[in-house]
Amino acid sequence: MPITKKPFWILGLIGILLIIAAPVVVFWPEERSSGNDPADFIPEHAVHVSHADIVQGPLETPQDVTRACLECHPEAASQVMQTSHWTWESREFTVPGRDEPVTIGKANQINNFCISAQGNQKSCMSCHTGYGWQEGQAYDYSIQENVDCLICHADINTYAKSNYGNPVEGVDLLAAARSVRAPTRENCGTCHFNGGGGNNVKHGDLSETLYYPDKEIDVHMGGNDFLCTDCHWTENHQILGRLVVDNYQIEPDEQVSCANCHNETPHNDERINSHVQSVACQTCHVPAYALDEPTKTNWDWSTAGLNIPEDHYTYLKIKGAFIYEQEVQPTYLWFNGNLDYRYLLGDIIDPSQPTLINDPAGDISDPNAKIFPFKLHISKQPYDTGYNHLLAPITSGENGYWTTFDWDLAFYLAEPVTGLPYSGRYGFTTTYMYWPSTHMVQPAEKALQCDACHGDSGRMDWEELGYPGDPIEWGGRFQP
Amino acid sequence: MKLLPFKTWISITGGVLVLVALGLGINQAAAANREVQDAAISPIHPEFSMLDSDGNNVLDSGLPVSTMKTCGACHDTEFIASHSYHSDLGLSEVQSANPVTGESWDASSGPFGHWDPLGYRYLSQPGDEFLDLGTPEWVMTYGLQHIGGGPAYLSRTGQALTSLPAQASNPETAAINPQLGRAVIWDWEESGIIEMNCFLCHIPSPNTSARQEAIGEGLFGWANTATLSGTGIVIKDGSGNYLWNPEAFDENGELLEENITIQAPTNDNCSTCHGLVHGSETPLVLTGCSLEYSQTARTGQVIAAAMISDSGMNLSDKNSLARSWDVHAARQLQCVDCHYSLNNPVYYRESDSTRPDTLIFDPRRIDLGDYLERPDHDFARGQSAQSNLAPELKGSMRRCESCHHSRNIHADWLPYTDAHLSAISCESCHIPQMYAPAIESYDWTVISIEGEPKSVCRGVEGDPDTLYSLVSGFTPTLLPRRNIDGQQVLAPYNLVTTWFWIYDDANGNTRPVRLIDLETVYLKNGHYRAEIVKEFDADGDGQVSELELTLDTSAKQELIAARLVGLGLGNPRIQGLVQPYSINHGVAGSGFAISDCRACHHEASRITQPVRLAVSVPGGVLPAFAEDTNISANGNLSMDESGALFYTLDPITEGLYIFGNSNTAWVDWVGGLSFLGVLVAITVHGALRYLQARKSRKSQRRLTHRNTRKLYLYEAYERFWHWLQTVLIVILLVTGLFIHRPDLFGISFRGLVVIHNVSAAILAINAFLSLFYHLASGKVRQFLPHPYGFFDDAIRQTKFYLRGIFKDEPHPFEKSPEKKMNPLQQVTYLGILNVLLPLQGLTGILIWGAQRWPEAAGLVGGLAGLAGYHTLLAWLFAAFIAAHVYLTTTGGTGPFDSIKAMITGWEVTGEKTVRDISEPQGKKKK
Repeated sequence: MPITKKPFWILGLIGILLIIAAPVVVFWPEERSSGNDPADFIPEHAVHVSHADIVQGPLETPQDVTRACLECHPEAASQVMQTSHWTWESREFTVPGRDEPVTIGKANQINNFCISAQGNQKSCMSCHTGYGWQEGQAYDYSIQENVDCLICHADINTYAKSNYGNPVEGVDLLAAARSVRAPTRENCGTCHFNGGGGNNVKHGDLSETLYYPDKEIDVHMGGNDFLCTDCHWTENHQILGRLVVDNYQIEPDEQVSCANCHNETPHNDERINSHVQSVACQTCHVPAYALDEPTKTNWDWSTAGLNIPEDHYTYLKIKGAFIYEQEVQPTYLWFNGNLDYRYLLGDIIDPSQPTLINDPAGDISDPNAKIFPFKLHISKQPYDTGYNHLLAPITSGENGYWTTFDWDLAFYLAEPVTGLPYSGRYGFTTTYMYWPSTHMVQPAEKALQCDACHGDSGRMDWEELGYPGDPIEWGGRFQP
Repeated sequence: MKLLPFKTWISITGGVLVLVALGLGINQAAAANREVQDAAISPIHPEFSMLDSDGNNVLDSGLPVSTMKTCGACHDTEFIASHSYHSDLGLSEVQSANPVTGESWDASSGPFGHWDPLGYRYLSQPGDEFLDLGTPEWVMTYGLQHIGGGPAYLSRTGQALTSLPAQASNPETAAINPQLGRAVIWDWEESGIIEMNCFLCHIPSPNTSARQEAIGEGLFGWANTATLSGTGIVIKDGSGNYLWNPEAFDENGELLEENITIQAPTNDNCSTCHGLVHGSETPLVLTGCSLEYSQTARTGQVIAAAMISDSGMNLSDKNSLARSWDVHAARQLQCVDCHYSLNNPVYYRESDSTRPDTLIFDPRRIDLGDYLERPDHDFARGQSAQSNLAPELKGSMRRCESCHHSRNIHADWLPYTDAHLSAISCESCHIPQMYAPAIESYDWTVISIEGEPKSVCRGVEGDPDTLYSLVSGFTPTLLPRRNIDGQQVLAPYNLVTTWFWIYDDANGNTRPVRLIDLETVYLKNGHYRAEIVKEFDADGDGQVSELELTLDTSAKQELIAARLVGLGLGNPRIQGLVQPYSINHGVAGSGFAISDCRACHHEASRITQPVRLAVSVPGGVLPAFAEDTNISANGNLSMDESGALFYTLDPITEGLYIFGNSNTAWVDWVGGLSFLGVLVAITVHGALRYLQARKSRKSQRRLTHRNTRKLYLYEAYERFWHWLQTVLIVILLVTGLFIHRPDLFGISFRGLVVIHNVSAAILAINAFLSLFYHLASGKVRQFLPHPYGFFDDAIRQTKFYLRGIFKDEPHPFEKSPEKKMNPLQQVTYLGILNVLLPLQGLTGILIWGAQRWPEAAGLVGGLAGLAGYHTLLAWLFAAFIAAHVYLTTTGGTGPFDSIKAMITGWEVTGEKTVRDISEPQGKKKK
């Protein structure tokens, strides 16, 4: 029996265990960690609150719906009204050659697809997030009730838009209002996948396949079931991600970037990591666009109006002849996120050369520029042979080209709407437009390998990009 | 059909015309978008004219082009031709017997003269009774993979072939006439000779099929000219003559620049002979293991930048193979980046052995112009097993470590990096699997109707020649290779086994049976002879199927032998040969290299896995390994129940010790038996004591203790030191056991090693501190036995343990704070603490630092020897602990007194006495 009452020997035991445990923990072999987990950056999805019992009818007009929403979400409309989804214009830029600052957007500028929305509001505004934008009058941007909440928030099986942005006849507005939830790919895609007048016509990397893609189509939306808003982070209706065709300068914090979630240099291989300073993520990870559905790559307006057999993919009387392509290898240009030039209505063109509707900024000596994949859309669209500027015809409506097949009339009617003077003589000229390819991201195993760009079978035109030759032999642009 | 109105017709026609115009117009626009891929042209080569062998312009003479004269106008073609083993191929070595193998049928160690059982035709030597390949026929068959010059240009005695007197008995001027079945004279003047063909390697698209055709027809002189077919410089007319095209030349008779591009060799050039090298435009498809792609057929190597998962082959688990066929090809390395011309000033690097220690890099080198004039066409090469040609050049190429920091890359995860790197070649782990079929065995003891051997492809299930057969690939065989610097490393190979008949001819030469004779024995008019069918047809269907075509009975063997004798071939017998072919290409990127230790350090190690050599052994003749290679093959040949032949590497005969695979079993036996023995002894001893105690309690006269008192025997530090040591040694023993047999336990090996090392380090510190304490305080005295009377005391103590303790005798030794240990204890503890523990620690330190102090580790037998000592000592320690713990129950007044004392410091002692419990308590005797 021990004489001491307190069992001091326990202290000794604890000391022994600590002496052993501490160094073991310190020296325990570490698993090689691969850096951050991109999944940590996905915004939290809000818990869905069913509006089935909250929204009460009757809701007769679309404006009734918006008023009902504003009862509980009073800020929502004014938030939306600050965004380009509502204004269809960018913020103002000063550009050389113009006295006043200009804005760029579907509201007031042209592209080389359907050319212009001005005067064609009847059909074009079916993708405006508002109601009642008519031709012939200025749109009152201040009416909150005209903000269309349903197109983004309603279950798309219950709601659709048609002329002037108003809901299709027969839509049950109450059912639509009750179905509201956070936007899904179907909400965004109903407009963004069908730009240019059909599925996958415009962007090439945004098609209806992305509603239910599999992993090989897009690793985020397919493999991981991402919503659009998981990358296009939205706060107070301000959605990140600016389309470079409608902006001159884009602030980096308004833009979506792979680096928002992914490590800048996530590759195990140092050589591949060193490409990051000159090659955009998309270049290797979006090896091709229009994977599942063909996209339009050529549009010849000059042949419109002929009475020959029509086919969605080759010729339509109202639009002219097209070429659709699938699994297209992108065009690669230096790109620092901005544009050097964006065609504004009234700019003078040189009809003997292709006109660039937008010119991505960046070149080999720009340290912020990286090689980026673009879809190049080539069009032959009308221009005024007297004034040498591109023309924006009126296409829809009862006097539009799509009814009368009269170009002259279409341009005359457009004069007061767009402010473009028409000399009475028109011709057709080639235009180029560059659309960035950034969706339809492939899983890592399908990314481009070394021989896709380097070597004899490589896809890069090195001299065009400004290199003396293949950088695998000549060295990269930042090396002595 | 009702005619449509006229207006409609106009519209439709107009529409169609418009659509066509549209298509063209849009295409124009689209063409602006498409990038123009310019071919890589290096137009720096000056214009030159084509000269014939007399030095005249071919436009004037119409004769075939002579590369020696044409290229020789600026480049020293004599130098080039004499410094090119691609051209020489063994001509300079031709002698009557290959000194390495002693096989008399090898005229040299190169393709000109070395017996290749895969191709089966061999080069006959002067004095052979029967002619197989004379030089002319050698040129026609093997010459397709020969670049010209060498044996196609000069005789074995160094004279021009055209100058030799034509004799049917001279293999250099004779060829077998297939109709007559015997040798006839070959007219070299008529056929011409083949000069070293510069075009094969130095133009972008040499026309190898036209060249093959010319050589196959015996038009050797036109072979080099034929290589230019398709460039427009030379055109074949209707009667098969080659005509020079004056349009391709300018007014001075020089070739126009756009018609010919002279360039450094690209992978495509090398692949025309060494195939398979594949570009990336189309998915790679490869079936079977035909010798058309000779390198791929012999080794399974494919050099392509594309991903294996993108190939068109039916590969097992293809989608998971998201790696390139060869990572260097993917990174756009060219063959010549490693196999460069040895005097190329760009690549030349002085060998480490001749370079002075003070010099990292010697920048002096020959001028580019001098190099271009006399480029050495002996290329840098590795240490392959299969070719002893130009052996002095072996190991001259850049190896992995010339470009890669092999130490840095592995040092943070691979234990004993240096030991690994010096024992295994990089390829062993970085070429873990081949994904194309390769030849496994060729059985030339039989022959098919097409004149082919019975062949088996490795790595593919079913018929290898169809695209639908599943290609599972195969694991390369690891064999020890002796490098030219004497180091022995494991490297991967494909083992190709062949069987063939050999015979002795009338002049006493042993030769392989000629193909023509084999065909005569088996076939007549394109069918099997009747007696062959009779003997081989097992299922009686009148045909000899592939399955039946095998010499699996002595009757069949004798039949064939007899027929061979009938042809005049003396003493025919079967010989088997195993040839290893080196695997160095098809390197996997780091993510796919072997990184699991258990691939080799395991019972089922890939080093000791049996590899199948053949599905059957013809004639029961076991093959022998080729002797003229640099690999060592002392393993075991064995057959399984289906008759398939296997080779298994035996680490013992190769002098390899593989942790986790090799075992010094006796150490475990001895140690284990000792431990068990101790366990048994203490069980018996303890049982007897327990029975004794029970008997005492039951009896009236009970053992008790009197004068019990407590003594403070063990100070705090002593106890702390003791128990820390105990816990550490137990941890060391347990982790040590797991480390000793990792395949028995599935716990994280690295973690266990960390615990073991940490515990050992703490134990060492503990031991040193304790030693210091004991010495400084003088307490070490208690461990030192008193020399006077030591043996008496020891024997007395021993007798007590063996006998006295069962008789309740008192302890012969009284504990006191100054003297706590009996002599036996003193001796034991001294030994444990001052001999065994330090030895164990030392062996452990050397194991841990085997890489840091390789000489010290080597003194005691390296890691393998150290492991043996360490394990044996561990067993002894375990045995000691068992005995020690048990013996603590013999002290004090009760079995747990001593342990408690070591915990609290206070021990209960007393005198043993026997008390009669029937007596009342009060009358206790003092």
